[in-house]
Amino acid sequence: MTQTLKALGQLALLWAIYLGGNWLVAAAGLPIPGNVVGVLALFSLLCLGVVKLSHVELAADFLLKHLVFFFVPIAVGLMEWGGVFYDYGLVLAAAILVSAVLPLLAVGGLSQLLRRGRG
Amino acid sequence: MGVTIFAIVVTLAAYLGTRYLYMRYRHPLLNVVALSAALIIAVLVAARIPYSQYVPAKDFMTALLGPATVGLAVPLYRHRGLLLRFGPAILGSVVLGAFLAMMTASLMTQWGGLPRDVVMSMLPKGVSIPFAVEIARIYNGIPALTAAFVVATGTLGSLLGGWLLTLVRIDDPVARGLALGTVSHGQGTATALMEGELQGAMAGLAMILSGIFTAGLAPLAVWLLGLMA
Repeated sequence: MTQTLKALGQLALLWAIYLGGNWLVAAAGLPIPGNVVGVLALFSLLCLGVVKLSHVELAADFLLKHLVFFFVPIAVGLMEWGGVFYDYGLVLAAAILVSAVLPLLAVGGLSQLLRRGRG
Repeated sequence: MGVTIFAIVVTLAAYLGTRYLYMRYRHPLLNVVALSAALIIAVLVAARIPYSQYVPAKDFMTALLGPATVGLAVPLYRHRGLLLRFGPAILGSVVLGAFLAMMTASLMTQWGGLPRDVVMSMLPKGVSIPFAVEIARIYNGIPALTAAFVVATGTLGSLLGGWLLTLVRIDDPVARGLALGTVSHGQGTATALMEGELQGAMAGLAMILSGIFTAGLAPLAVWLLGLMA
């Protein structure tokens, strides 16, 4: 019971940081998502020691374990967009293939090079 | 109200069922998001429920996605030691990878003559869904399409990524983890974890960082895209 209450309190803290990120982005008119600002804000607060890991990890670990669940209802929206795949399937498949393979090799190659360079 | 409760029950059942299958067999093709969504769409179509009636259930279920995404700072902080130790390799390669993925995906669809909202849905598809969907939204992309492209990229990367990296003799565990995480986000991270703990940790870091870098570089990519239209 106390664990549940603690997790709910931590969830409220994560939510507050998320809303803060959204508010900041809207107020400053920045073209970046509020959740990105939220991640950076929590990371900074952890590094500065303002927020301790024990203040957020119970809720964060549970939510991250099931992060994929939240993607499911978003993907159901595809039922309205099936035609796009029918009309442009080939271009989409080619774009996805090239944009996966090229960066994969670039990231792997460059980071291996940078690591070897340092010995 | 009845439809919403039905939709939530169906969604939960599809998620838990496909998650059980994935946990049991751990195969990249057993993708929880793609399989669950296909099952749910099949049920909605069979029950003659239009998508508009699913939306309240969707809004209810995704209410916690924002705080969950902010929670990604926790693994980032836990691995801050690795972040410092491999700083140059991580920063250089993830920035390059995030930018390349954005430019190739959106340029190819733009040259292929696709409508702008589809191009913008493709632009951020290399990163984890919560970041990708929000970036797409800023440029009037379609969140559901972005989610589909993200899953397709992740599945491709986790099926072929390890093999391709071995083929070109990229054998450094840090490099392999970074490549898999940058290109195929959570799904690549799961694959990297099967290779080893260091690979998994690097992939997890790369996944979060490429989300942040893609968000930061997207305005530049969209501007360049306009020049090449």
